Amino acid sequence: MYAMLLYIDGGGVVMVKKSDMAQYVNITIDGKNCIGKQGDTILQIARANDVYIPTLCYLSKVKPIASCRMCLVEIQGSEGVVLSCQERAVEGTVITTDSKMLYKHRQNIMKLFGVNHPLECGVCDKSGECDLQNKTLEFDVATQNFCAKESDKKVENWGFISYDPSLCIVCEKCVRICNEIVGESILEVAVGGYKSRIINTNKEADCSNCGECMAVCPVGALTNSEFKYSSNAWELERIPATCVHCSSGCPLYYEVKPSSTANREESIYRVTNPFEFSSLCGAGRFAYDFANKDAKKDKEAFTRALKAFEGAKSIRFSANITNEEALILQKLKEKKGYKLICDEARNYQKFLAAYSMVSGKSLYSGDLATLKDSDAIIIFGTRINDDNPMVKYHISMASKWHRARVAYLHPMEDVSMSKIVTQFIKYEVGSEEGVVALLANAFLSDLRLSDAVKEYLESLDVGNLSAESNVGEEELEGLVNSFEKKNTFSFVIGADLYAHPRAQEIAKVLALFEKYLDCNVILTPPASNALGVALICNLDDEDVNEQSIGYNVKGDFTLGSLGEVDLDMPALNQQEGTLTTIDKRVVATHVALPFGGYVLNDIANALGLETEYTIDYTKELPKRSGYKAVEFDTLNHEFSKEGNDIRGYLLETKDVKIDEIFEEIEELPAYDGGVVYWCNEGIHFTYNTLYKYPASKYLKGSKQFAVAMKISDGEELIFENEKRQYRRIFKLDETMKGTIAITSSVTEPLEVSSFKNYRYTLMKLQEDGVIR
Amino acid sequence: MNGDVEMNEKQRYITLDLGGAPMTPWCRFKRVVKRTFRIELFIGLWVTIREMFKTLFMGKSHTTKYPFEKMPISSRYRAIHDMLRLLESGHYRCIGCGLCEKICISNCIAMETRYDENQRKEVSGYTINFGRCIFCGYCAEVCPELAIVHGARYETASEQRASFSLFEDMLTPIDKLKEQKEFEGYGAPSPWADKNIKKTPLAY
Repeated sequence: MYAMLLYIDGGGVVMVKKSDMAQYVNITIDGKNCIGKQGDTILQIARANDVYIPTLCYLSKVKPIASCRMCLVEIQGSEGVVLSCQERAVEGTVITTDSKMLYKHRQNIMKLFGVNHPLECGVCDKSGECDLQNKTLEFDVATQNFCAKESDKKVENWGFISYDPSLCIVCEKCVRICNEIVGESILEVAVGGYKSRIINTNKEADCSNCGECMAVCPVGALTNSEFKYSSNAWELERIPATCVHCSSGCPLYYEVKPSSTANREESIYRVTNPFEFSSLCGAGRFAYDFANKDAKKDKEAFTRALKAFEGAKSIRFSANITNEEALILQKLKEKKGYKLICDEARNYQKFLAAYSMVSGKSLYSGDLATLKDSDAIIIFGTRINDDNPMVKYHISMASKWHRARVAYLHPMEDVSMSKIVTQFIKYEVGSEEGVVALLANAFLSDLRLSDAVKEYLESLDVGNLSAESNVGEEELEGLVNSFEKKNTFSFVIGADLYAHPRAQEIAKVLALFEKYLDCNVILTPPASNALGVALICNLDDEDVNEQSIGYNVKGDFTLGSLGEVDLDMPALNQQEGTLTTIDKRVVATHVALPFGGYVLNDIANALGLETEYTIDYTKELPKRSGYKAVEFDTLNHEFSKEGNDIRGYLLETKDVKIDEIFEEIEELPAYDGGVVYWCNEGIHFTYNTLYKYPASKYLKGSKQFAVAMKISDGEELIFENEKRQYRRIFKLDETMKGTIAITSSVTEPLEVSSFKNYRYTLMKLQEDGVIR
Repeated sequence: MNGDVEMNEKQRYITLDLGGAPMTPWCRFKRVVKRTFRIELFIGLWVTIREMFKTLFMGKSHTTKYPFEKMPISSRYRAIHDMLRLLESGHYRCIGCGLCEKICISNCIAMETRYDENQRKEVSGYTINFGRCIFCGYCAEVCPELAIVHGARYETASEQRASFSLFEDMLTPIDKLKEQKEFEGYGAPSPWADKNIKKTPLAY
């Protein structure tokens, strides 16, 4: 039945069936019997089994680079040595990782890396966490018998990153990460023997400033320009946390230290991440300074807050809160009968509910790990590079590793996706319902479907929809053909659809892809914890002019961590709690900086709930939504040895009653004229990330848009939307086409990232100079 | 008791003939006069008188006028720290490596560094909390630049329990750069250090 074979997977031990044995390989490394998956490299198996093989250029999350040759091992019975990082293990191999010859060899490699390496460890930022330093000491390099003539190498500054070529060992990690994961291929190696160096082909212009290259740099060549020389690595205390800017919930560490010699209050010096296994975008890495500092326990304000709560009818809040806070708000609703209003999560909640009605599952099926391994991907209704960079990184990985066909369906072309996307299908603004119907028709009509679905597909007027939405039938045919013979199919859905007037109908049709094509569908949550809020709170639709409390959004009485508020609240890096990520994973975040004021739990306690700490609610998160009764302190924050994400726990997907009712498609709306697309461009999500990316205060548009709206570059505009006035400076962007301009929805504190209404707004220039 | 008897037998007491004690007042008076005018007194006083003349008329005093004057102390003595400067440029020697901060066992050193205009690491703040410092000398020993050394200021009494010292207080004043002495205490290079230097192989 079961072989005496134990496979270690993510810390747990898995019994392997004899019939599955073919999937595993047995090798002996340094006399230790090691088991790994078929297709794993020797190094991967060694690491999973706690056998140490020194490496310098190896990075788990990209394909083997094989530039350093440190990982050489000997194989019994064969002459010479092999690179363990790229050699796949063969059943029964006996491997030696250390011998006199190998030691000598590795020592020589380290000597070569050390040629002319500046002896500035004393001031280098990397000192203390430098691979070169560690390995030089490990292989006892006491003398240098190689030399080369040094050339003049100048330090270069690339925005947030500075590059010192004299410290660079040209391991190529940065180049690979930029190419494979970030998908920008901006860094390149300028090959020239000893004079080899890394070059930035675009400087600051089109680099998204993610800082991934800097994170993986094993030496001090690529460093954070802001952090540079401000602290030694060992002086910083690492606080494990979760990035709070978007729904990907990437793991990171806030590194804190007293602010100065005079002020011993701690501040965040930099953000690092477990870069071997996961990535961060620029927002997570550079926009960390959003704590609500110097808040005091203001008793009077607290009393006023309680009074406001007593009189309030509704609580408006942003979805950038923890699961626990969402639960507190829900409990307050149950106790006091408040209406809970969260525009960001409400649309998403409705969308998810409609989706579940057809798919029969309470959650969407997709996750990022499967997306990474997909070979056919459709991106629909989202400017994904701006909405969720981490999703884009995973699409990039799929594109690079599995040559994935990537179809990008959007009204606007995105230059930053051009290196990944294989087919761009442009549709008219507002025609999403038609597009999704056309997609369903193209992909599903040949399958065995239920009567309701059949009827829906048969009722479609394909010719008309195609004409209205501007999506050609040949385009779709080409798409379907290119997806043939592909194994893993992913579907990335974004925020354009959640606030669409016909969102629920779109959701229902999308669910068919999961149901009939077994597709990896990801409904990208529109805000950090939109999924959590949608699952925990019973949200209400918008109320009108009622006494309201605002939590991080404007209300009659405003609580918040930013801007002019009536009662100070801690920012998300001053709180502990859990977040629900795009992977449907519940992950913990911890307190990086202290907060001196009141928290939401204090108010809740004063209003009659009785819980000492906010995190006491972690185990009470609703089980009906898939949460588990797990104590906060038991939540894991690490990755497995193999690099699998095993943080926190995964939500349980529940079965939902299926109800397949499809409405007829409404006539597709026409958006003729200048259209503004509300999109937080660049690595900008909330007000917290704005200070790093001030470019977001612009309205960016093409020449065509400028002509249509009679505006010129640099002109200040005032326009209205949802009864609010916005001021933007128009910026002409030569790379853009068409009559859709982009602007950020968040340029002031207490503004939220996504709108209650559809993301595209038709703009008309009025006579009074205001665009409505 | 037997033991005591034996002890006394072994000890050989000698009785000195000191003459009789003066019994009458006259005898006592005679003894006083005799002792007063004998020359031995002046022999004993000679050194004192000599030194008194030296001090008063020749300006050669042995008295250290503390706190205006202090005794020279060994270079190995570990008193309040000094921050030294480079003799050539006058720039402070500290490179901001932070090793002193790291090694300090009483955790009394705090420093601040930044990237300055000349692309160097600048020390923008440096304090030692002398309320906590135990003068172990590790900081001076670990310093790769001989920038922080122990000086000769051993008075550590202060009005506050925790008295801080700033970088500027410890740094050699720029106008007294010529008076700066090379440190010879813990962490200083040995007199034969030159002999241990190996050349980097250079083929060009």
